[in-house]
Amino acid sequence: MGDQQQLILATGGYDHTIKVWQAHTGNCIKTMRFVETSQVNALDRTPDKTRLAACGYQCIRLYDLESNCTAPVINFDGVQKNVTRLGFQEDGNWMFTAGEDHHVRIWDMVSAPPHCSRVFDCEAPVNAACLHPNQVEIAIGSQNGSVFLWDVKSERHERIVPEVDASIQDVAISPDGRYLVAANNKGNCYIWSLTSQDQKMSTLRPKQKITPHKRYILRCKFSPDSRLLLTTSGDGTVGIWKTDDFTKWLELCIENYWVWDAAFSADSKWLFTASSDGIARLWNLKEKKTTRDYTGHTKAITALSFKDEIVGK
Amino acid sequence: MATYSNQHWLLSHIRNSFISTDDSGMCETVMLSDDMPKHYLRKFGNSGSGGDHYHWRKSHKPPPTGGGTTPERNTRHPDAPLQDVDFICYPGLDLSDDEEDMSTHSFDIQMYPEVGAHRFRSNTAQKLEKLDIAKRRAARIKSINYQEEVQPPDSEDFFKRKELPLSKTEPAKKSPKSNEDELSDEGVHSQLTEQLAKSPKQTQNRFVEFARFDGTSQVGMQTKRINVYLNMLPEPDRNYPLKICVLATAKIQEVIGYVCYKTSLQYPEVPLKSLQHYALYMTEDNDDMEDFPPLDNREPCSKFGFSHLTLAERRPLAPVTRVDYHGQLGTKSMTSEEAAEKQAVGEAVCLAMRNTNLNGQTNDPGGAGGKDSSHDNVTEYEKRLLNHNDMLEAPMHRTYRVNIIDKRFFKSDVTLGISGERIEIDQYKNAKFWPQKKPVSTPIDFVAHCEIVERRQLKALLRIWMKSNSSSPSFSTGCTSAPINASVTTLNMGSASTGIAHSPNSPGHSSGLFSSSNIRFKHYDFDTDIHIAQQIQNKLNCILEMRCSDLRRDFLLQRGRKLEKRQLKL
Repeated sequence: MGDQQQLILATGGYDHTIKVWQAHTGNCIKTMRFVETSQVNALDRTPDKTRLAACGYQCIRLYDLESNCTAPVINFDGVQKNVTRLGFQEDGNWMFTAGEDHHVRIWDMVSAPPHCSRVFDCEAPVNAACLHPNQVEIAIGSQNGSVFLWDVKSERHERIVPEVDASIQDVAISPDGRYLVAANNKGNCYIWSLTSQDQKMSTLRPKQKITPHKRYILRCKFSPDSRLLLTTSGDGTVGIWKTDDFTKWLELCIENYWVWDAAFSADSKWLFTASSDGIARLWNLKEKKTTRDYTGHTKAITALSFKDEIVGK
Repeated sequence: MATYSNQHWLLSHIRNSFISTDDSGMCETVMLSDDMPKHYLRKFGNSGSGGDHYHWRKSHKPPPTGGGTTPERNTRHPDAPLQDVDFICYPGLDLSDDEEDMSTHSFDIQMYPEVGAHRFRSNTAQKLEKLDIAKRRAARIKSINYQEEVQPPDSEDFFKRKELPLSKTEPAKKSPKSNEDELSDEGVHSQLTEQLAKSPKQTQNRFVEFARFDGTSQVGMQTKRINVYLNMLPEPDRNYPLKICVLATAKIQEVIGYVCYKTSLQYPEVPLKSLQHYALYMTEDNDDMEDFPPLDNREPCSKFGFSHLTLAERRPLAPVTRVDYHGQLGTKSMTSEEAAEKQAVGEAVCLAMRNTNLNGQTNDPGGAGGKDSSHDNVTEYEKRLLNHNDMLEAPMHRTYRVNIIDKRFFKSDVTLGISGERIEIDQYKNAKFWPQKKPVSTPIDFVAHCEIVERRQLKALLRIWMKSNSSSPSFSTGCTSAPINASVTTLNMGSASTGIAHSPNSPGHSSGLFSSSNIRFKHYDFDTDIHIAQQIQNKLNCILEMRCSDLRRDFLLQRGRKLEKRQLKL
């Protein structure tokens, strides 16, 4: 791994651009044009950190972060509707995409031209997807309120509807593989315990329901140490919850703006937020205040990606 | 050709061509006062051509004499001094019905904002080039068909289940529960924590707020590329311009901020002062700064067509002054570049300014006044200079596109013109849908005050108070003097403090709150961009301040009294 590698934060939003920032100074290193017709729905980096994948309305693109070129290196043709999430397997062997065309697709990224190696039909627009740390199961949340756990290897799946007439906005699985969380547009969060035995598919057991927000939840995410869960919402707050008992630990507020996305640092001490005021912020969780602002977007920031590393004890 | 032999037409043409191709905006200053074609027309052609003009208008035909006679005269006496008959008004040029209209009526010349020195290539050529670039770029982009058929992986191991060390983490997690509030992780550090600890707190660039004017890779927004020489850099570097790309909508002030931002990134060792110390000056591409005043901070950068500019410390006073009524200061020459002299002159000007009675008033409107600390007289002086410039430019005519708020909530697009003499509200020409309304023109003497009553994120509600020239309270709805519906109120409306509530139109209500003094005020509400609102507010209040408007004083006095009363009641 690059020893002097820059830590970068990538953000994208409604101004159709993706910006790459030097994380510790807040300086913008590079701006890439996304598609003129689309906002950025989600961003993720390949595990080797060399490429940045972005998805939006009718498009999925991969950019090279190492060259100075701002044009994409891979472009997907014929994409329908919004692609809402994407992510990579931990070795970068494959990528998943989830979209409003009801499908979650797995893309083989190692073979010469990347190709599709699995498709899962959710029968409803898919709002969210997230990979289980065991690297074979994908949690999926759909607009009709269903939560799926799909085993990519055996192609089996399980389906749960925690609340009728609600749309699942995001799903998350804790890095220790213990919990699955689904957040919906009513401000509710459903938590399941995950257990797995002898290479078999995980089983879901309902654990708890919390109501972090009164409005729309946009994202939920676990901290890398699995001790915290965050929820971002249209009410301008980020709620952070302790996973021991799912009680609130603290709340960060960006008044009057939607908080679209957030990401923890590897040691779970810092938090990046992306909000509709066009500013990405870095919060010191201990002091509960911002230490850096990342200004440059002219419209709401809807997605961000940050990949950090633990540098020993 | 009748056109080319008509002196009046030629003069007008030369004048207008010059104005329309001048990037600097300087011509407005220099040429505003001497409109030669008009001057000659007044001098020689007024009586005769006025009649002609009228005649041509009536007959709607080209003049039978005008075309034939002028060239003859021209060839005969090419150098003869102009005489009464020689200067024949060209129909439709200059002679407007309104004597006060100072603008020349020649053809509107449409300029494309992007045009630099070279002409536009044809659309096809441009399109072809774009296609070509796109093609070349596409060759480098790998394309994947999203809808392609599923090809299951060949190897069994493609999807590999990873075992999670579940059982081990659980007891480990339980033990440090005692000090959980601190979330200490036995000293686990991430790369981010490390880098943040290494970089001092002030690494956060203080010009970072201007980063949002970055125009690179903006989609669907006009941008502008400018090469900026940085005067504060050491010798080798200052000869190479900083290439920037900014949003075309950015004001010069914001461009300066953005340049400072870029400079601080590129030359972190160069200390920068605060924004108000710098100005953008016109420059030849060999980086020679010209002796013109800096670009106006409040203008959008799209207004200027320069490819090269210099960022330098603001010179004490512009050698060219715009308005002549501050003659005392304008006569001082400030072109010297030597710092010591600059300082001395600056102080002299500062002193002079303090003593100068601008229209009989000593206080400055910009808010810098009050505390007269003579210690840091440089910053103080510069602040005053800015205010001074504000005051100089305030009476100049400017128009703004704003939305007027009609009858509580209807909005219509209007042009608001403000000058030292009057305020004009005219419905925007292209406004469809609403029936045309008559323009309103109010002498500045009737204007009382201008304020921003509500600030939202980007928009602001601007209110201009003026004297209502009717004493009957019942005229507030279909008022005759103000065809665009201004709501008439007396002063003690709560609306001034609450903001959103526009004054009610019901006459009964308004008469009930009739003020004790006999002056009644009405107001127009405008909805506009917050920066524009600020500009209008500054400009208008600056004008009022300079005129020592009694009306404004009365207005503020009355309002103060009303507020006191209300507070007493509460």
